[in-house]
Amino acid sequence: MWGNFCSLFKKDCQMMIAGKFFLVAFGSLIIYTLFINYGYVHYMNAELYNVYLYDSQGTQQEVSELIYPVASLEELNAVLSSDANGVGIDASSGTPDIVFYYGSEKTDNHRADYASSLLHQESGYTAWIVGTNTLESKQRKEMCSELLFIEIIAVGFLGIASVLFKEKQMGAIRVHAVLPFKKGLFIMAKLTVFLLSDLIFAVLMTVLNIGVSDAAVILPAVLVQTAILSLIMALMGFGCTMMLKDFRQFSLAYVVIVIFASAPVFLSANTSVKMAWIDLHPFYHVYMGLKNACFGMPVTNPVYYICSICGIAILFLIVQTAFHKEMGKEG
Amino acid sequence: MKGLYYQLKSVWKDKLCIMSFLLPVVVALALNFIGGIDLSSVAEFHFGVLESDLSAQTIVWLERYGSVTIYKTQEELTDAINEPSTYMIGVKSDGDSIQTLVSGDELDLFRQTADTLPALYEGRESAGQISVTVLERPDMMAGLQNIFISITLIVAMFMGCTFNAMNIISEKENGVDLVNQILPMTQSGYVIQKIFVGFIGGCLSAVLTACCYFRIPVKNVLLMLVLIILSAFIAALIGLFIGKFSESLMVGVVYIKIIMIIFMAVPLVSYLLAAGGLISVLCYFVPSSASFEGIMKLANSDKPMISKDIFILMAHCIIWFLLYLSISKWQKKHS
Repeated sequence: MWGNFCSLFKKDCQMMIAGKFFLVAFGSLIIYTLFINYGYVHYMNAELYNVYLYDSQGTQQEVSELIYPVASLEELNAVLSSDANGVGIDASSGTPDIVFYYGSEKTDNHRADYASSLLHQESGYTAWIVGTNTLESKQRKEMCSELLFIEIIAVGFLGIASVLFKEKQMGAIRVHAVLPFKKGLFIMAKLTVFLLSDLIFAVLMTVLNIGVSDAAVILPAVLVQTAILSLIMALMGFGCTMMLKDFRQFSLAYVVIVIFASAPVFLSANTSVKMAWIDLHPFYHVYMGLKNACFGMPVTNPVYYICSICGIAILFLIVQTAFHKEMGKEG
Repeated sequence: MKGLYYQLKSVWKDKLCIMSFLLPVVVALALNFIGGIDLSSVAEFHFGVLESDLSAQTIVWLERYGSVTIYKTQEELTDAINEPSTYMIGVKSDGDSIQTLVSGDELDLFRQTADTLPALYEGRESAGQISVTVLERPDMMAGLQNIFISITLIVAMFMGCTFNAMNIISEKENGVDLVNQILPMTQSGYVIQKIFVGFIGGCLSAVLTACCYFRIPVKNVLLMLVLIILSAFIAALIGLFIGKFSESLMVGVVYIKIIMIIFMAVPLVSYLLAAGGLISVLCYFVPSSASFEGIMKLANSDKPMISKDIFILMAHCIIWFLLYLSISKWQKKHS
């Protein structure tokens, strides 16, 4: 049995090398790493609003260093229209008057109060820090978990389909019906190839983007979550391939799954937009598991693991039935 | 004309093609109905406080700036502050004043807000006395929604590309391509039919999507139509290119994915980063940049100046069409 498994495994690896799957995965790894290291962590930041002061009579003596003085009312209007988030203070009449473009009701309250507080010397207070991450390490972990999720959902899913459709069209699946080994092995071999490649991808992705020392701590948890996601996606890809007629139909199913599975998840998980029904979305939990693992807070709730294992088992049974049906078809 | 009839018939039989055309329309409808997703909370401040720690007045004061969530224990509050997806600022009482807690990984905007919050609290009495003039400007969130709409429209406009490429590749795989070679049909006739089918599909898909949720003044509808027609024509042409260069459906799908990503990412990134100078000129080499810019201008102003965008799209139409013809000619000579 072990020998059979090894030969199937070897064949799948060869097919994936021939289909340039590893090349695509390696290429995307390089692109993701370049994006995180040279793009995302450098350009994602936002400063608090700039405050501009026009004070022709010099009535404001104790202004903070954070205020930018301007020389005329025209200049004040010009900077405000180019920096629409900025706040202007017009003190030319002797009493300060705050001017800004409408943002939203609550932020406007804050902008007005913040600007007027800068007319006095600041207190030099700094907020207490209760977390362990810095902005950069957080951004690295966040992007790393997101890209890992996308890679497994999009590329892994497509990968298994591209390999399987080839075998299906060539009739190789039907040939397996007469080969002397257990039929489950065929599925197992495929899953193992994708699981291993996803795990290696996850290791490289974490080490290259989060750093060796930080990655070593979180890696076990990340690998567990990657394995869950990878098995689910590989089984779904397998199932879709068995049930759909050709790659064309698959590509539509692919678009639907990728868009509808990932878009709401990203919206809820990365912004403060919380949709009430998102708890019913299975991928939301897997994604949060992966993300929390990247942040060193692995899921400890046993219900999550029980549900994942049950889900994988159910998918496996469906796939097995579909596979048997496909083998039984007559050419 | 008869050829065109057969092309349309084959498209009608292919339910998958019809579904792919309807996809952007479905997304548009869904966005229209789900409209309830309230994006305004993204730009707001979020404060976390402990139960029975701050006075009711302080909480009311905090609610002027953003939403306030109350937590029972210090651990829950700390977890909520550290939660990576939100930028929550913790607020605790400190005698007469307040102190703030942050996780240390937030954007500078939120850290500075937390640093200055106690000073604002101390000055809360005098803050109301200063006069405030709020100038009107278009809603920030409407701008964000326009981006969503524009991108969906771009996808719809360029659906003709996906469709044409798929159609040609599957003809190649089924051998229809070889049959075509012995039929009394000229290469140019074939190309025109294909462009027409993709073009009509892309136009219809974009017009339906636009009708679903793009609200523009009646006088701009004509400009919008011009943008859609030009973009759909370019998309159909690019579909022909993909069909020509990919041997199998799998390779075709990869090409389509790459082109779709470029078409969506280039205008979006250049818009968000407000690229200027040489980079913005380079972006115009991707046809969707001009379409995106045109749609954004149509959505944002009453008197949009989109002649430049229309001119760029026209240039794309002519250049790609001539390029396709010359490549076809060259291939014919060398085959």
